[in-house]
Amino acid sequence: MSTFKIYFAREWQLMFRNTGALIQPLVFFIIIALLFPFSLPAESNLLQQIGGGIIWVSAVLATLLSLESMFHADYQDGTLEQTLIHHRSLTLAMLGKVMAHWTATGLVLSLISPVLCVTFNIPADQIWVLFVGLLLGTPSLTLIGAIGAALTVTLRRGGVLIAVIILPLYIPVLIFGAGMLTQSYQGLEVTSQIYALAAIFAMSLTLAPLAISASLRATIK
Amino acid sequence: MISGAYLGLFQAPADYQQGDSFRIIYVHVPAAWLSLMVYVIMAVAAAIGMIWRMKMAFVVAICSAPLGAVFTALALITGAIWGKPIWGTWWTWDARLTSELILFFLYFGVMATYHAFDDRKTAEKAMAMLCIVGVVIVPIIHYSVEWWSSLHQGATIFAEGGPRMPADMLTPLLLMIGGFMFFYGYALFITCQTMVLKNERKSRWVREVISRNHSR
Repeated sequence: MSTFKIYFAREWQLMFRNTGALIQPLVFFIIIALLFPFSLPAESNLLQQIGGGIIWVSAVLATLLSLESMFHADYQDGTLEQTLIHHRSLTLAMLGKVMAHWTATGLVLSLISPVLCVTFNIPADQIWVLFVGLLLGTPSLTLIGAIGAALTVTLRRGGVLIAVIILPLYIPVLIFGAGMLTQSYQGLEVTSQIYALAAIFAMSLTLAPLAISASLRATIK
Repeated sequence: MISGAYLGLFQAPADYQQGDSFRIIYVHVPAAWLSLMVYVIMAVAAAIGMIWRMKMAFVVAICSAPLGAVFTALALITGAIWGKPIWGTWWTWDARLTSELILFFLYFGVMATYHAFDDRKTAEKAMAMLCIVGVVIVPIIHYSVEWWSSLHQGATIFAEGGPRMPADMLTPLLLMIGGFMFFYGYALFITCQTMVLKNERKSRWVREVISRNHSR
């Protein structure tokens, strides 16, 4: 457990020393979401219906953007190699790092999503559904995405490749997350989708750190 | 091996009972089936390669990727051609169709990962990791028709209480599936052979093989 804490704290410290990089994905998230009102006909009804889906897609893209930098600095300065040969559990270390990364991206995204919802005229009960969905879905996005980031860390131009290999894996999360909104818009129960998202979260929380550390061991020599 | 596929192809049209559009299942079902089977083979080969460090397993995995992608594309295209007269649309965002499309992109991701690395050993390992991670999508595709009440019909061959299909239609279909499997195996052997020769082109045994073939 202490390994988890050490890496979690270290990642936090590093992130908050570089606030510019910290804010970028969030600004990106808001801008992507706000592009849609401009490109759609000015009927608030339409935005109300698809606004939740727009926010989900923006969250996926913002997470994707933040992934490339996740391991890059550590790889450049050799910290990652040191971690690999350390006696501590690499899996737990990576779990700490990735979860810290999530608190700075996915968690904040979920927290500001209600504000965006209000600008889209989404009703309050739907905002709750979206908020819970994002809160359960974004950690899975970050965890799954970290596998892609770990696989491509040694490449100079890994950004596009991350998108190609990770976006297909994001689709199940997106289906349940956005499907939840459609269901609640039609006045149906969303419990089954919440369970599905929670199941994906539990699976990625337990399996993704193993895959991340295996990927790092495979690509870094 | 190819003769298996030919036998299925020529025998199959003799047994159709409904309209002509139904015949396409003789291509669609085997292609869709193979698209999943190839991915599972890839993932198993990748796991074998990662665990026991077998060179050949990686070769099998990476050679399967383009073949699997072709089967997936074939399943999607024949499905679309069939869907136009029967469902009245080329494409619908149905669970089975969408997840099959994800599989297609997954194959591309695997190939892109392999080609992105300069060092072959690293490329093989990275590709293998992705194969293993991506295998979670296979049960989702397989059960998508049951989990979501989908437009796509459910399992017909392995349904409870035996196949829901008359025998004279089932036989050519099974023959076609067998033929597709043989074709996959045959194509896999050829591509693997080429890849091994390419990978080991500096070793002595490859030179001997080539010079022997050359003199013949």
